[in-house]
Amino acid sequence: MNNTASTPTAEPPLLEASAISKRFAGLRAVGGEDGLSFAVSRGSFVGLIGPNGAGKSTTFNLISGVLASDSGAVTFDGHDITNAASDTIAELGIGRTFQTPRAFESLSVLDNVVSGATSPGERLRAAFGRAWRTHESVTVDAAKRTLDRVGLTGRADDLVSDLSGGELRMLEVARQLVRNPVMLLLDEPTSGVDPVLQKRLAALLAELHREGMTLVVVEHNLHFLLALAEHILVLTHGELLTEGPPTEIRTDAAVISAYLGDDYAA
Amino acid sequence: MNWLQIFVTVVTLGSIFGVVTLSLNLQYARGGMINFGIVAYFAVGAYAYAIFTQPAPQGLDQYKFGFGWPWPVALVAAATAALLFAAITGWPTLRLRGEYLALTTFAFAEVFHSFLLNERRIGNGTVGLANVKRPISDWGPIEEKYVFAGAAALLMIATLLVFRRLLRSPYGRALDAIRDDEVAALAAGKSVQRMRRQVFLISAIPIGAAGGLYAMFTTLAQPSLFTAEVTFIIWIALVLGGERSVYGAVAGTFGLIFFEEVVRTWPFETVRSAQIAASVEHIVTGLLFIAVLRYQPFDRIAERMKATR
Repeated sequence: MNNTASTPTAEPPLLEASAISKRFAGLRAVGGEDGLSFAVSRGSFVGLIGPNGAGKSTTFNLISGVLASDSGAVTFDGHDITNAASDTIAELGIGRTFQTPRAFESLSVLDNVVSGATSPGERLRAAFGRAWRTHESVTVDAAKRTLDRVGLTGRADDLVSDLSGGELRMLEVARQLVRNPVMLLLDEPTSGVDPVLQKRLAALLAELHREGMTLVVVEHNLHFLLALAEHILVLTHGELLTEGPPTEIRTDAAVISAYLGDDYAA
Repeated sequence: MNWLQIFVTVVTLGSIFGVVTLSLNLQYARGGMINFGIVAYFAVGAYAYAIFTQPAPQGLDQYKFGFGWPWPVALVAAATAALLFAAITGWPTLRLRGEYLALTTFAFAEVFHSFLLNERRIGNGTVGLANVKRPISDWGPIEEKYVFAGAAALLMIATLLVFRRLLRSPYGRALDAIRDDEVAALAAGKSVQRMRRQVFLISAIPIGAAGGLYAMFTTLAQPSLFTAEVTFIIWIALVLGGERSVYGAVAGTFGLIFFEEVVRTWPFETVRSAQIAASVEHIVTGLLFIAVLRYQPFDRIAERMKATR
């Protein structure tokens, strides 16, 4: 990217979804007649909200390659990632967590985080050599620091099954952070997380945002999200209802109606 | 009871089948792939060895291929043949998950078995290939059976060391991650398809070599030696030994082969009692299997070893 020639507004968006859509058994999950389109600019903190079944997680799945979209295109950082494989997309710098936290049950907490990073020793021939060991010690140090960052200090040697639901969520965040992603997609990060950890998570996200990481967060806890995000996308029935800064979204009648029902709409 | 003879046989057969169990351990316990057709890869190795070493057909021979190659080359050919067979069978099947892969691999092995029974030009049909070449009949002061036991043990130890090295690297950790949660592993940038394919292919190499050694040891490559029963014996050995470590796979195989050998060589007074013993053997194996599944003794040992490390 040439950063001398362009003003911030002229810079193309980091992520751009154009007219993507997905149907499950003929029912529209994401994208109306024209599909779903939105853009995320580099370094921004975007919140993705909407009632249950609005297609928020499906949108994440379409971006990260977990699901193939029926139509439309997704570009990321100059690459066409439409229907690319999940691992390819991850290697390009998109990190994500899942609505139901996922973990590698047979690995320790530390190994779960370490395996987030891609080691040269994951190549067959390199695995028999010794060169990966240097990389490994660097990754282990980074993983330990990341565990501290998400509030899992002292849990490194524990089994994943010993973690609580909230801690599992933080472990998943740590596993993605150790990859040092360009953009991080978080799916309901505060769900099942106690207030103390939530506060810590809020501080962490603010810090990552300051460091320049692009964040897209799906969240039902609007109190949490609206205080952090700079831009909000509102989805209903797989379509973009509206978008804008949190201050506008907070008072938008259509958003209130979609989320709380017509009784609450002004 | 000739305990020395039992010991030598257990080392030989235990090592040969131990190689197969080790490979299954890599495929299933670490790679998460259920292969219910593992006997086919073993059979490919045995037949390849027989075909490459046997002389060109003459007289009443029904088989069409015989190359008369020296045994070391034929052993390499056996391993390569199993690798190729894995590449061919793995290509359409490896996208399948869990029980679907199990069914497909089982079907492949059955088809292959049927092919061996009916195809006369390659494997000589039901009769199979007899008089498979043994390397050298005169090993000087060392009896041939010890040489076989040693060769089989060497192959097994080499397989064990190579697999252990692989599994203790980040490659092994990535495999564990893929087996535990494929979606999360993909999100962590792991090349799931590539690694599954690689594991399927590299585990076939020692199986093929073990098959070659087995043909050499029994001097036979016959369809009746490569039935689904072999697959299930290997699976039982893996479960008995505990799937968590490479040592478990070996211990389970040795235990099972030892048990079978003792029953087989026990000096029974009558034919009737030998027949009863043969049936009881299956019952006891079954009970042992259930007991191991219920109490998981080997997993506990492995965990204790991990805890003290």
